[in-house]
Amino acid sequence: MSSLSVPASGIAGHRAMAGIEARRMARHPMFRLGVVLGFLVLTIFLALNSDESVPVVLTLPLLGAFYIGLTSVIAAARLTRSTEVAVEAVATAPGTEARRTVALAAAGIPPFLAGLVFSLAVVVVAQVRGVAAQEWWFGTLPDWQVWSIVLLCPAACLGGALLGVLTGRWLRFPGASAVVVVALIVVSLLGQIPLLETASSEWRLWVPWAIFHTGDNPDGTQTLIAGNPAAYLGYLLALGALAVLGAMWHDRSARTPRFRAVIAAVAATAFVLLALAVTTGPHDNQVSDPNPSRVTS
Amino acid sequence: MSVPTSTIELAGVGKRYGRKRALDDVDLAFDRGVTGLLGPNGAGKTTLLRIVATSIAADSGQVRLLGLDPHGSHADVTAVRRELGYLPQELGYPSDMTAFGFVEYVAVLKEWNDRERRVQEVRRVLDLVDLTDQATTRVSRLSGGQRRRVGLAQALLGDPRLVVLDEPTTGLDPAQRADLRRTLSALGHRSTVLLSTHQTEDVAALCERVVVLAGGTVRFDGAVTDLVGTAMGRVWLADEPGEDALVSWRTGTGRHHVVGGTPPAGADPAEPTLEDAYLLMLGPDARRLGAPA
Repeated sequence: MSSLSVPASGIAGHRAMAGIEARRMARHPMFRLGVVLGFLVLTIFLALNSDESVPVVLTLPLLGAFYIGLTSVIAAARLTRSTEVAVEAVATAPGTEARRTVALAAAGIPPFLAGLVFSLAVVVVAQVRGVAAQEWWFGTLPDWQVWSIVLLCPAACLGGALLGVLTGRWLRFPGASAVVVVALIVVSLLGQIPLLETASSEWRLWVPWAIFHTGDNPDGTQTLIAGNPAAYLGYLLALGALAVLGAMWHDRSARTPRFRAVIAAVAATAFVLLALAVTTGPHDNQVSDPNPSRVTS
Repeated sequence: MSVPTSTIELAGVGKRYGRKRALDDVDLAFDRGVTGLLGPNGAGKTTLLRIVATSIAADSGQVRLLGLDPHGSHADVTAVRRELGYLPQELGYPSDMTAFGFVEYVAVLKEWNDRERRVQEVRRVLDLVDLTDQATTRVSRLSGGQRRRVGLAQALLGDPRLVVLDEPTTGLDPAQRADLRRTLSALGHRSTVLLSTHQTEDVAALCERVVVLAGGTVRFDGAVTDLVGTAMGRVWLADEPGEDALVSWRTGTGRHHVVGGTPPAGADPAEPTLEDAYLLMLGPDARRLGAPA
């Protein structure tokens, strides 16, 4: 026997690995760049509109999702690939690749927290500076609907990191994560823009980055797009879970019947949540009262 | 009563890479102590070590590690890996990790779950390889020899019962090699240490046993002194290079060190080294395939 006893595997081990991966993500330059850019752009936007109440407030969480979420895809993919250079030493340790992948999912914690802080910052600033009475916000919408849309930001940031883990596990060519980011944007835009102004706008919600608010229209109104944002939030989280499971699938030893059942269950949950997002909540786009100060035509 | 088994048992082990045969019907068993694997490039040393390290599976034959089948049940594989320390021939490092961070990462994978004990253990192995001062330096900023020592540190975590080191002394300076020999020698008292190297002097200084591989087969398996003994009377110091010598070179004294062949006129018998014996063991292959450094 070894002169030093080795503790058995357990939840403490998972927590330790998850902690390491979360710290690595928090220190990753690409992630930090995304956070800085996100908050910088938000600050500039608010400064440029400092003489009035916060405009198009329900679109602002998109900024966080864009800058933090997309850079998290790249950062998480790089983290995932980085440990593979030591794969021979790492793979002959008792921990399996699937276990390492689960730990890598914890790399989504810093982006999630950054996205949450971003969204809360938007809410706080809006509370302090106020919003126009015509804005889609608390008062003109049910609270659950506002909170669901606001919380899409941290969910998207988390999802970006988890998509990065999936990318890192499966795509080995140089620049794979950048290609995935571009593909994500293209799919999200092409999948929803043609539907936004139609009577079937809720069918856009299959895309992983759907919008619920158009921003200002030329006549000073704002359009709230159909669909249930709470169910869509759940759908996004389910997609994130599927990304982790897909990354774990890379480890052949993990492909047990039980694991397949888990994947099927999560996929079914995602489908149900998508169905709920499409079929419940507002069925039609809603147009706000015009705000005279926002008229541009 | 159970039959006592060796820590490592290989019976009729074969491995191919496409049409190339890397190992052919290898029978070996290893127990506590330090064993050196010698052989020219392409001899099958790394393949053998990777099989023992559970990194790859043999195509044929039987492999038992600590009495278990390393490619059997998940429980058996995990049990073997809990007692294994492995330094691969080529080990990369995540660019964002420090020496401490990387070794700690491996320690977590090796189930050192208690943070306090893990940190203590990581510090211990970094100290063993003389990297305490560089613990917080990123691995990407360390020299080649220092990186190699980071790799060694992770292999030594927890004093494993089975230690597999593929060219551990590459990039180390003489003082570091001497330190490593001391560390491995102490480890060999309680563990089975299997190492491959091109440095015959490391094997001579450290190993009780040596295995010479060539062309995927075992050419010699025995005590280091026995291998050296095979060269007795076949090495000379002479004023001229031997005409039919296996190898000869001019030494710093101006005389020629002649290995094999017939002794040149006026040659004086010389004390053979492990390197001489190794070269004679391989014969013409030594020149064709590349002799040890």
